[in-house]
Amino acid sequence: MFILGFHFPADMGNNVPDEKVVEKLADVDLSDVNEVKLLMGTKDKDKQWISYTNKDTFLFKALVHYFKEENPDRAQKYMIYMNRYQMSELSKRLDAADDETMKLCHNLDSMEQFRIEVA
Amino acid sequence: MAGAASLRQIAFYGKGGIGKSTTSQNTLAAMAHYFDKNIMIVGCDPKADSTRLILHEKAQDTILSLAAEYGTIEDVEMEQARLWGKGLFDKETPGGWINCTESGGPEPGVGCAGRGVITAINFLEEEGAYDEEGLDFVSYDVLGDVVCGGFAMPIREGKAQEIYIVMSGEMMAMYAANNISKGILKYANTGGVRLAGLICNARMTDREYDLAKELATRIGTQLIHFVPRNNIVQHAELRRMTVVEYSPYSDQAREYKELARKIVYNDMKIIPTPVSMDELEDLLLEFGLEDEVDESQVGKAAHEA
Repeated sequence: MFILGFHFPADMGNNVPDEKVVEKLADVDLSDVNEVKLLMGTKDKDKQWISYTNKDTFLFKALVHYFKEENPDRAQKYMIYMNRYQMSELSKRLDAADDETMKLCHNLDSMEQFRIEVA
Repeated sequence: MAGAASLRQIAFYGKGGIGKSTTSQNTLAAMAHYFDKNIMIVGCDPKADSTRLILHEKAQDTILSLAAEYGTIEDVEMEQARLWGKGLFDKETPGGWINCTESGGPEPGVGCAGRGVITAINFLEEEGAYDEEGLDFVSYDVLGDVVCGGFAMPIREGKAQEIYIVMSGEMMAMYAANNISKGILKYANTGGVRLAGLICNARMTDREYDLAKELATRIGTQLIHFVPRNNIVQHAELRRMTVVEYSPYSDQAREYKELARKIVYNDMKIIPTPVSMDELEDLLLEFGLEDEVDESQVGKAAHEA
């Protein structure tokens, strides 16, 4: 089973507990990141930057991990659809009370393309 | 069974027109190019379009057409029926290679297409195609709406060990995915075949990920990847190329690379638990693909309602 690109052994079944995914992100270094910036859309006229700064959430950690993985030059990165849908899916369970996160999840659930940067 | 012990035999099933051949070729191209895997494609669709993007050709000669030309399968040479991939996928090019075969089928309306699959696999085994040095994967690309006996050959005979079902978030694709699961279940204990995951070749409809994920969960498997729709796939196809070759740094190539990585490392191979028709219809209702029917209106003509 693959969640956020992480491999979970088959003996864990097809319903991996959220906390096991959270554990995979335990070592993500957030010290050099204050803001996640997401570029939503593909056509120039419809493109929209979204700023996300809530560092206390699962989603922030997951986004920073996604950005930093195999990206030593910290270049803008395309977001794999499956990963961002899974990030949203977990966030809706883990950070349901956070309005900013839920608003971003609503965007992540769309069919639009996303690119990610951090600052 | 022929082939090395480490050889993995996978199959892509799915309803006709779902994008099986496109998805399988792009994914296999990524497995060869990014992960150095050596692959043999066995096209099991009578329209013989399972290898054209790898070969940069319209369609290769099929095993059945060669047998018809020579009068008997015994007179067909392997090097006529099996072609090496072009460009990135040639045996002489660094990285993994891909070689290609197509079973072919009878003329429309005549005979059984499944017979072509059986003939092709037997021919390839006898000619030693599965024993090619360095071969990592054999991939069957199979038309399978209802898993007819012939098309079920790769799973029935224990050839394909892990099945990936290509589907999308529309009713007939989900129906076919569930039906194919029933076919896998039927042969799981005798042939050892397992379901390895659903691949959503997205139509980009509302809540498509949620729907595909829910079906996967209920069948007992995983949604291994959601492949978004992107025009670059068609642009590459016009040049008879995979996206990996046409535009290796494109967003869509990254999607196929990720799917390829997951297949290479996938260890989740299960006996599926297909859902009943009632459950499937409930699922479609829940996700808005079907409208709730007022039972009191069933069977009434328009002027009566």
